[in-house]
Amino acid sequence: MTAVQNAGPLIRLAALSKHYGTHLVLDQIDLEVVKGEVLAIIGPSGSGKSTLLRCINYLEVPDGGLITVGPTTIDATRAASRSELSGLRRRVGMVFQSFNLFPHMTVLRNVSLAQERVLGRTRRDADERSMQLLKRVGLADKAGQYPVRCSGGQQQRIAIARSLALDPEVMLFDEPTSALDPELGLEVLAVMRELAESGMTMIVVTHEMGFAENVSDTVMIMADGKIVEKGPSAQVMRNPQQERTKRFLRAVHDR
Amino acid sequence: MIPTYDELVSWLPELLSGLSISLQVTALSLALGIPCGLVLALGVLAKGKGTRILALFLVEVGRGAPALVLLQFIYFGLPGTGLTLGSFSAAVIALAWNTGAYTSEIIRASLQSIAHGQREAAVSIGLNRFDELRYVLLPQGLRVALPALLGFSILIFQGTSLCFTIALPELVSRAYEIGSTTFRYFPALLAAGVLYACISIPASLLVSHVEKRAGSHAQR
Amino acid sequence: MTAADFLAILRGLPLTIALTMGAFTAGALLGIPLLAARQSRLLPLRFVSMVLIQIVRGIPPILWLFIIFFGLGMSYVPISPFNAALIGLSLIAAANMAEIYRGALASIHFGQWEASRSLDLGRWSTLVDIAAPQVFRVALPSAASYLIGLMKETAVASTIGVAELAFQGNQLSQSTFRGLEVFAIVGLFYVLLSLPVAWLSRAADAYLQAKVAR
Repeated sequence: MTAVQNAGPLIRLAALSKHYGTHLVLDQIDLEVVKGEVLAIIGPSGSGKSTLLRCINYLEVPDGGLITVGPTTIDATRAASRSELSGLRRRVGMVFQSFNLFPHMTVLRNVSLAQERVLGRTRRDADERSMQLLKRVGLADKAGQYPVRCSGGQQQRIAIARSLALDPEVMLFDEPTSALDPELGLEVLAVMRELAESGMTMIVVTHEMGFAENVSDTVMIMADGKIVEKGPSAQVMRNPQQERTKRFLRAVHDR
Repeated sequence: MIPTYDELVSWLPELLSGLSISLQVTALSLALGIPCGLVLALGVLAKGKGTRILALFLVEVGRGAPALVLLQFIYFGLPGTGLTLGSFSAAVIALAWNTGAYTSEIIRASLQSIAHGQREAAVSIGLNRFDELRYVLLPQGLRVALPALLGFSILIFQGTSLCFTIALPELVSRAYEIGSTTFRYFPALLAAGVLYACISIPASLLVSHVEKRAGSHAQR
Repeated sequence: MTAADFLAILRGLPLTIALTMGAFTAGALLGIPLLAARQSRLLPLRFVSMVLIQIVRGIPPILWLFIIFFGLGMSYVPISPFNAALIGLSLIAAANMAEIYRGALASIHFGQWEASRSLDLGRWSTLVDIAAPQVFRVALPSAASYLIGLMKETAVASTIGVAELAFQGNQLSQSTFRGLEVFAIVGLFYVLLSLPVAWLSRAADAYLQAKVAR
């Protein structure tokens, strides 16, 4: 577990709301995450946790509320400008449940592309940095391969390297191990743990209770578009206060 | 009923030069039409309403009217506006329009078939719309579209036969001419048919091969 | 463009519809035995039908009509332009429909064949009771769009003198020298003709989807 630095919040969500038609998915969510914090979001499916994550980098457009990441604040009630969005997305890295690697590019190109196109690095500099990142996730030997030749666990680690390539200030993980066999999930979790220990700010939507309890600093339970409970991970996981949390954790343990 | 050897020898130069014109019209129509198809596909998918309506109009007319009518519209119709085209240019323009309209639908469907996650990944690593299209969507979309585009190319090759009606001396015109001067219609037309088949059939076998390979590639 | 001009074009409509429906019906029916031959267990039959389909599809429709009308009709067996066009387009439709059926057949999940075999249904019953309904269901959208394509293809019959839409348009444009309007209206007729087919196909598709719920 990493020490949470005592600074102002890096991410702040204020009264964030989102509807699908008449269905309320996010109900006035307020949330702060400080630099270096690892936040695990758990909860039953349909609770809005993935939507919350996807709203943070505007893959889903919220209906109302404020999103602040570092110096950028976006007011969801008005249309965000292109430069606001690109500023937001450059600070925020995202790892998807289904990896979403680009199948027509080699592993190395997958990691280098955004560095060249977004950061304006030369091919050589980008590739050099990509190799460092691939080494970090233990896959330097796969650089010349295409993603289809890699296992699911390897693909997810490559996806992590790809989003690290823009040097984001915060990393979002949307159920990163849900599409993987338990064994392959472990290698992804190991990379995430290393990342957490290095001081990366992370928000992780997950079903991995072990990760929530042992790696994250803070755990947040969501249900029906609301935050049910949030607190230091050991406390929430071992000694939850809310009835809804107890019910959810019991259901998870009984399986 | 079949042409004699001597007939074949005397007709072949005529027929082959007709075939060469057919192939030239095919190549030019595709070279002009497929880029138009890409632009039209992007136009149909565009956010702006005006762009979308214009693109849809060009696509629907190009697909809705028979290629023969399109050809005659341009060759016999445009001179009324003061713009007179030779039969070769008229043929290329009409068939390129036809190509643009059909291939835009092929390309649009391929672009839309790309998993939504690819767009999300492109957006989340900060690519702008143009880069997203250039590096992520188009390379994958065109690969998906390739078999259908090749298949359509064969149809356009066959479609050049319609240029008979605007007096372009392509393969069918040459065969018909030989038929009408020698009154050996059947053998002359048969010879032209064999020439078409010699190109269309191997090409369509190639297309189904590419299709199979693309299918097995997608399954991996 | 006067009303008389408009009516002149309209006169071509019945023949366009007759050619389209005639060739489509013939093609949809002849396509079935052709598909059966194509899927036959006898190699020679399979080979001959495959070659036949390839040859029919490998030669442009206009050339087929010429071969039948000028090649056969002028020299061997006299034949009217309409009959020549109908025969040629039916031939082409049969080859194309056989391919459409084949695509639909290939899309049937192999589990259906395994289930039929495990129920000991027999080859005939499997084809008639299990495969055929699903094939027609799957083939419907492609068949409908082929019907529209075939309707536009009938325009080539104008080249051998069948007085259908394109032919009337051609005549009128030569007598009035106003090709632009004439061909625009002829084109519009084809688009209008394709609308009910597209609508019917969507409606039938929605109905079957609700009924079969795949």
